[in-house]
Amino acid sequence: MTIEAVSAAERRRRRVPYLLMAPGLLWLFLFYVVPMSQLVITSLQEGSLERGYRFTGDLSNYLAVFTTYRGQLFNSLLFAFAATVIGLAISYPLAYAIAFHTGRWKSLFLMLLLMPFLVPFLLRTLAWRIILADQGTVVGIIKTLGLLPEDGRLLSTAWAVVAGLVYNYLAFITLPIYVSLDKIDRSLLEAANDLYASPFTAFRKVTWPLSLPGVISGTLLTFIPAAGDYVNVELLGNPPNSMMGNVIQNKFLVVIDYPAAAAISFTLMALIVTLVVIYVRRVGTEELLT
Amino acid sequence: MSQAPGSTAGGETPAVELKGITKAFGDVLAVDDLNLVIDENRFFAVIGPSGCGKTTTLRMIGGFEDPTSGVIRLHGEDVTGTKAYQRPVNTVFQSYALFPHLTVFENVAFGLRRQKVADGDTARRVNEMLDLVQLGHAAKRKPRQLSGGQQQRVALARALVNHPRVLLLDEPLGALDLKLRKEMQIELKRIQQEVGITFIHVTHDQEEAMTMADSIAVMNKGKIERMGEPAEIYDDPRTPFVASFLGASNLMDGKVTSSSGAVRLADGTEMRVAAGGLQEGADIRLGVRPEKIQLGATAEDLRTTNRVAGRVTDASFIGISTHYLVDAGQLGELAVVVQNIGAARFPAGSDVVMGWEPGHCFVVQPV
Amino acid sequence: MKARVFYRVLLGAGLVYLFLPVFVVIAFGFNDLKGRFNVTWVGFTLRHWADPFGVEGLSEALINSLTLAFLSALIATIVGTLIALALVRYRFRARAATNLLLFLPMASPEVVMGSALLALFIATSFGRGYWTILVAHVLFNISYSVVTVRARIVGFDRHLEEAAMDLYANEWQTFRRVTLPMILPGVAASFMLCFALSFDDFVITNFNSGTTMTFPLYVWGAARRGIPPQVNVFGTIIFLVTVIAMFGYLTITTRRSKVAR
Repeated sequence: MTIEAVSAAERRRRRVPYLLMAPGLLWLFLFYVVPMSQLVITSLQEGSLERGYRFTGDLSNYLAVFTTYRGQLFNSLLFAFAATVIGLAISYPLAYAIAFHTGRWKSLFLMLLLMPFLVPFLLRTLAWRIILADQGTVVGIIKTLGLLPEDGRLLSTAWAVVAGLVYNYLAFITLPIYVSLDKIDRSLLEAANDLYASPFTAFRKVTWPLSLPGVISGTLLTFIPAAGDYVNVELLGNPPNSMMGNVIQNKFLVVIDYPAAAAISFTLMALIVTLVVIYVRRVGTEELLT
Repeated sequence: MSQAPGSTAGGETPAVELKGITKAFGDVLAVDDLNLVIDENRFFAVIGPSGCGKTTTLRMIGGFEDPTSGVIRLHGEDVTGTKAYQRPVNTVFQSYALFPHLTVFENVAFGLRRQKVADGDTARRVNEMLDLVQLGHAAKRKPRQLSGGQQQRVALARALVNHPRVLLLDEPLGALDLKLRKEMQIELKRIQQEVGITFIHVTHDQEEAMTMADSIAVMNKGKIERMGEPAEIYDDPRTPFVASFLGASNLMDGKVTSSSGAVRLADGTEMRVAAGGLQEGADIRLGVRPEKIQLGATAEDLRTTNRVAGRVTDASFIGISTHYLVDAGQLGELAVVVQNIGAARFPAGSDVVMGWEPGHCFVVQPV
Repeated sequence: MKARVFYRVLLGAGLVYLFLPVFVVIAFGFNDLKGRFNVTWVGFTLRHWADPFGVEGLSEALINSLTLAFLSALIATIVGTLIALALVRYRFRARAATNLLLFLPMASPEVVMGSALLALFIATSFGRGYWTILVAHVLFNISYSVVTVRARIVGFDRHLEEAAMDLYANEWQTFRRVTLPMILPGVAASFMLCFALSFDDFVITNFNSGTTMTFPLYVWGAARRGIPPQVNVFGTIIFLVTVIAMFGYLTITTRRSKVAR
């Protein structure tokens, strides 16, 4: 074969990965990337279902996000943030306990951790409605402890919404943390002990830094979907607790004001993409898919 | 084994021929215009430091990488650009690459099955090969259940059972402990001679190569620096790199004073060297292997032609030999190895004279 | 040991917290409720279990969910496996971009993905129904499939495929006889994960379902009117089946690696 033939063979080899990925990436492109751009286009339209839509480039829908829906935007960010922080407070100790203190039963406990999420999402959330009911035992205990006034309630408040968010996204935050904790070479901790570090210092200087990728990944995977959630508000909260997700859902499916809905949806997405880009800049893309 | 690329011994078709082979990874040239001819029925070793391109070269012969330019011929047939499964060549991988989900038998039978050999023949050949490597009893086991040495033999059997005309070995003995490695070196050499095919063995261990190979190619930075039979290239390395890579050597700066074999060293000492290839007035480095140097208390104690004085800075008793470091002033520190056959031992601090015959030293380029 | 006790308590409390809603869901499938709203405990009965299909529309929703889950898991696993193979085995320039593109669907809020798809379907006048739901499910499943299969591929020696080709197997034979058996656990895990994710999906489905009914949509619709206990019954069944599948998968895979010792 001549040099041309060799290069042809090498060119063929280089094409292989692209061919393999083609169907999947094509699907993603068609049904993720294109819709996102469609979202932008729709958001800049004006009109209604009956009269039809016209592209006007009107940015008033976007302004509405920061004016009319300021409350919901605030709620989304606040609730998601609270859910993430509380979730972290719960999941990190749990993940740590499973990774370091369960010995032979590690896989079993991991399974137990994931099992509840095999019950359908809506049913789990509805179960919380029962658990946090005004006359229920849980609320009763809280009232006895004095954390809630006699006439107070948990359901239909922001607290219930956050509680629901925490629970529903717990798996997303625990799993990445567990994975990075599990990856830590135990001999590193032994080395730390050998070098006069107390258990707490060893944690602070060795375990915590090494678990950070998992923490960051977990918080991203929790904060972002939580910010867009609307189910928890619908089932556990009240109209004042509305989040951006509720507005989007309302505008798309109830009021059927597509341009407005699209604008709000896209803004939420843009906020998130910004966060991800900042994260990726600092950490790189290889860790994302672990 | 030919040193001049392109020529063969006796006019028969060489087993492997590489012409102008270059492999670039982006801007990096892993292999740079390589020319190599390997004859039939040879145990051929390719050695060099990490990153010299030896493994890349092997992979190109095997068909796992395509050269950026150049031609590869196997038994006269141009196979450049063909896939690994189209070449009559088999490989023993560094990690053995045994299929974990198949039994030892099925592993060895794999190649035969792909070539559509009848079941009866397959079974016979596999069992014969397993007996050859003394693993007949392990046919039904899975690779995980075998020791490192056993896995290595399965990898070898799996390759040989296909009767390839060339066998490629990519540092196959690296993971074995010393004793096992030495045993396998002898074993591999024996098998090669028995089976009668060409073995191409890549290793970074020069001792291993010299033990097993009929011919060695020393690679450095993507090129072959020196090629020939072990003894030949050991005694006449021709470049400083090869001199240091193959065994230890002492190198001293000097200048050729006569093309018939005279060299003046940096401190003025006159040396006699073997004639041939010397250019009068050229700057060179004179090399002499530690084991070729004799030690004496005074110059009169030595009967060698070349003599250099020095002082012992270190003397280590190693059992079969004593290793000395001798400070020779301007010429630097020379390493000397003396067999412990009753000769006097010189403690650190003693003045000695080192001597060697002209035939025992060699000349290399300065850089 | 103080630490030991602390962790035991921690794990115990964690498990109680996690399983409390599960317990409630299961328990209320046995609730002998009087009215329409299944929120307070009345008494124990097995009648809902005796007549699980006795509710209008529930069976249809279940069947849709099951078929959608199966199909989307199948498609996503095949496609995801191919991508995972490409990512691990080859170097190529678009790598960072691909990683990002695969990560985004996992990290995007469902509300945004669902509404974006809806916007697309509206703009192209594509009717919403079964097929649009399938498209949406495959979409988000691909990323999870890639992650799951990739984890499995990364762990195995890339020289194995070269060894197969060295032994005269062409690309297809190598894939069938060496690669596929090795990654099969990952492929199976991907299928199960995608199945579960698809079956349970609510938000994206809600935006793209048209008039087609799935199990989660049914539950949502019923939330206002009062959820029939049969829903709890099926929720329990789903839970038990997936738990058994998960344990089954684990036992098989750990047994395979135990044989090695």
